[in-house]
Amino acid sequence: MDKLFIPRGVQRTSLPKFLLWLLPWTGLFAVGIYAIYLCLAEGLFHTNMDNRFAFGIWIFMDLTVIALGAGAFFTGFLLYILRKKELSAVINSAVVIGLICYSGAVLVLMVDVGQPLRAWFTFWHPNTHSMLTEVTFCLTCYLVVLLIEYIPIVLKNRKLRQIPKFLVFEFELHKLMPVFAAVGAFLSFFHQGSLGGLFGVLRGRPFAFREELGIWPSTFFLFVFSAAAAGPSFIMLTTLLVEKLTRKRLVRSSIYQFLGKLSGSMLIGYVLLKSIDTLIWINSTSPGNGFPAFEFYETQSFGTWILFSEIVLFGLFPALILLSSRLRMNRVLLFGSAFLVCCGIMLNRFVMTIQTLALPTLPFDEFLTYAPSWEEVAAFLFVVAYGVILYSLTYRYTTIFPQERELALGRNEEHGELSAAQSTDDGSRQNSFSAKTVNRTIS
Amino acid sequence: MIPWVYEFHWTAFHIIFLTVFGTVGLIVATTMLMVFNRSKTAKQTGRVEAIQWHSDFHDLPSGMRTCRHEFSGDVQHRTCNNEFRCESCSVHLAFVSMKGEPVSPLLLQNNVLGFSMPHDRYYHRGHAWVKKDPDGNCLVGLDDFGTRLVGTIESMELPEIGKKIHLNGIGWTIHTLGVKLRILSPLEGEVIAHGTEKDRWLMKIRPSDPQNATVHLLRETEIRPWIMREMERLQFSFATSGAGITLADGGELIPDFHKHFPNADWDGVLGQMFLEA
Amino acid sequence: MAHHGRTTSESIIMETMNEKKHKYGMVIDLDKCNGCGACTVACAVENNVPPAVEKMNSRNGITWLRVSNVNQNESFTENDTVFVPMFCQQCEKETPCLTVCPQNAVDIDPNTGIVGQIPQRCLGCRYCMTACPYHARYFNYWDPQWSDGMKQQLNPDVSPRMRGVVEKCNFCHGRLHAAKEKAASMGNREIDPKEYVPACVESCPNSAITFGDLNDQTSVVAQLSKQGNAFRFLSRLGTEPKVYYHSTREWVRAMAEQKGPHSLRDSQFSAEAIHG
Repeated sequence: MDKLFIPRGVQRTSLPKFLLWLLPWTGLFAVGIYAIYLCLAEGLFHTNMDNRFAFGIWIFMDLTVIALGAGAFFTGFLLYILRKKELSAVINSAVVIGLICYSGAVLVLMVDVGQPLRAWFTFWHPNTHSMLTEVTFCLTCYLVVLLIEYIPIVLKNRKLRQIPKFLVFEFELHKLMPVFAAVGAFLSFFHQGSLGGLFGVLRGRPFAFREELGIWPSTFFLFVFSAAAAGPSFIMLTTLLVEKLTRKRLVRSSIYQFLGKLSGSMLIGYVLLKSIDTLIWINSTSPGNGFPAFEFYETQSFGTWILFSEIVLFGLFPALILLSSRLRMNRVLLFGSAFLVCCGIMLNRFVMTIQTLALPTLPFDEFLTYAPSWEEVAAFLFVVAYGVILYSLTYRYTTIFPQERELALGRNEEHGELSAAQSTDDGSRQNSFSAKTVNRTIS
Repeated sequence: MIPWVYEFHWTAFHIIFLTVFGTVGLIVATTMLMVFNRSKTAKQTGRVEAIQWHSDFHDLPSGMRTCRHEFSGDVQHRTCNNEFRCESCSVHLAFVSMKGEPVSPLLLQNNVLGFSMPHDRYYHRGHAWVKKDPDGNCLVGLDDFGTRLVGTIESMELPEIGKKIHLNGIGWTIHTLGVKLRILSPLEGEVIAHGTEKDRWLMKIRPSDPQNATVHLLRETEIRPWIMREMERLQFSFATSGAGITLADGGELIPDFHKHFPNADWDGVLGQMFLEA
Repeated sequence: MAHHGRTTSESIIMETMNEKKHKYGMVIDLDKCNGCGACTVACAVENNVPPAVEKMNSRNGITWLRVSNVNQNESFTENDTVFVPMFCQQCEKETPCLTVCPQNAVDIDPNTGIVGQIPQRCLGCRYCMTACPYHARYFNYWDPQWSDGMKQQLNPDVSPRMRGVVEKCNFCHGRLHAAKEKAASMGNREIDPKEYVPACVESCPNSAITFGDLNDQTSVVAQLSKQGNAFRFLSRLGTEPKVYYHSTREWVRAMAEQKGPHSLRDSQFSAEAIHG
């Protein structure tokens, strides 16, 4: 029964095996739902957040998944606006990941706020000076755009496309996709940035407060850059993971090279900006507010190693590897670097949320620690489980990777060249004119 | 945010905010309306079949979009990006103008890997053949490869006489092995007659453009390499449709081979072979 | 989309231009404070702060005003200690919590300079809490609950807050409204300064807290705030808080400027200690 919904020309595991794979994730999903129910129905005392640690693991997670989901807007922008055709191999995957990340983040945000039913207030009478307003608007609009971008993927399902109404709709929608890609890129640019701005404007938190560039603090631009660097790396890692799990090739290796280079070039820009920003912060912004910057690193485990890791270990190091075409050829280095990039983003978002809140501001205040409650962790894992389930379903029933069929056909680059060589032999026997002349005519 | 709503003030930030998000909302809404409108128009103007082919072709892996000039050995490696419509392909025209003398009929055999593929016919990628009738019309049928694939058919629906069929649209429909299969139309034209049992053709078509009616169809030396590729494709589609390894390389298709694969996903296999995505 | 500027309140200022501007503030004499905690209790009772529930602690309970005990960190015989009542410092400039709120739930009354929190609008995102350098904002993690007997004691002038919203000190706005009503009933446009005194000020047995209009140069509070030994916490952030502290002890003033060794002694006066 289920067979008729699986795309033609690709292999999928049997239904029982697939359901077995979903089982643990569904369990996790259910536990997450229960935790969310507790928080919504009884109150946020189920979390370990408090008046000092008003943001916890959820905000950290939101910032992280939104940065990792940046691949959707960045890939869409490069593919539809700058016409980087290679990226069509991963665009569907990027959209699905983007949708999962953004919808997951919005879902958890709705649990995180104390009065979710009042969320419409922000739309009806917003405070336009608040970074959070900008985040809310962009996030909502972009989620709508992502849903629209997800529709064609679903409608391309083998059964659904047989319905003329859907087929035509998908076709017409796909034709206008550049519009959505442009809107998505515009919105993403602003909310990735304003998520950074969220912390950069905190005058009362000298650890996070940054100088302004125009109307935004420098963290705005740092977040845009770092998200653009992390997006492609995360697509690489997820694609590799799916390849390993399904034991087949889904994209050509040249795509990985392209994504790696893309990630590397964004990252090197980020490292440069981050270094300048850190120097300005250490020498001017922070002491100007009465807080010598190195005092922030005197406390417990949050030493200067964090700065070093952020900039060098998870920044400069993977950036240089990804930018070297020789080193990039090594798969371990390539994916290792992509992993480091993602780790770096997570660390940066961790520093911005958790470390900012842990550090004292009042002179007699203490350094505070916080450990999430099981409900917080469960809600976090709920998003992971939700993502895995949605991705698995989309992967099974639609063609996320257009190259999958081709690579399964055995007609990858190498094979293409081989058969091409054979046909030249035949050609030279039968025709007097040179195939090269024609090739030139073609191109 | 909204003028005259509490907390809205006519200040720069409120106006910028309103403009930016108003524009975004407007663009998204307008684009979606356009999509709805265009798909409605497409259905009303009967472009559904053309769109279906466009969409199906787009989703074919490049290995299934081999240019006919790769079959004939004119070019090393080329993938078609023009929906197999050679009449509007500049590359094809370039090749045709360069073509030397015609191939000697002695080099052409009607038996191709055990299939009967007469060389007096033209072949569409969807396994319909076209033969020019002396009266200027075209006869259409299912080629031997296609016939053997579909096996004993349960029923067949031909378009009514007088109906226009579109190139790469639905030629006719076959019900077999529990699958409803559409055979792509090899021609653009009007159905003027249905064939009988002894005619060995299914439909007689009056082509819309008699001059260019068969330009895009495979012929002569292209047939053999094409069928070889088709065999490869068949093997592959079996492999992905849960039947496991099936045909040995270079073998021929045994007569009622369907019986040997009771568990195969026939919808998958036949759909792929008849260029349905 | 910027985070700064106060066009909202500016335009309100335009509307109410002809009214007299007040700038309510406080000066707390730390040398007089003995840490008794009467202010904390008075504040909670006045403002209908719900009693603590079992699982509440000093970090997630609600105390609009809490007193911290700070040690000088000298040897036992030399050691000195100071009690610091800490609550919303009513920042006047670049008010950190004001600009961050996405739904205008934080406002500044241009006539009083008081930073208000409108719980009915609050989404409970807690962004303002992360923005506040004084940690003076509190979130309702629990549903507020009063036992039947305690319900009788609720202040009718102050509406209790619901679960999931943020609240904080507002210089006892219930008392301000009462004073305004009284003035209006007597046909006055301005309130009598004696009629508007926050609960903490009233309850302090040592009269350590002075409250009044900082704009009124003749007021005691304005004069105290200009004394040599007056200081404000985190003044270098540039937020111009309207709550001043005062101490003749040099180490206390140095501590406020982040200088010299000191440490928090004991935990703060926690919610359990007060309500439990």
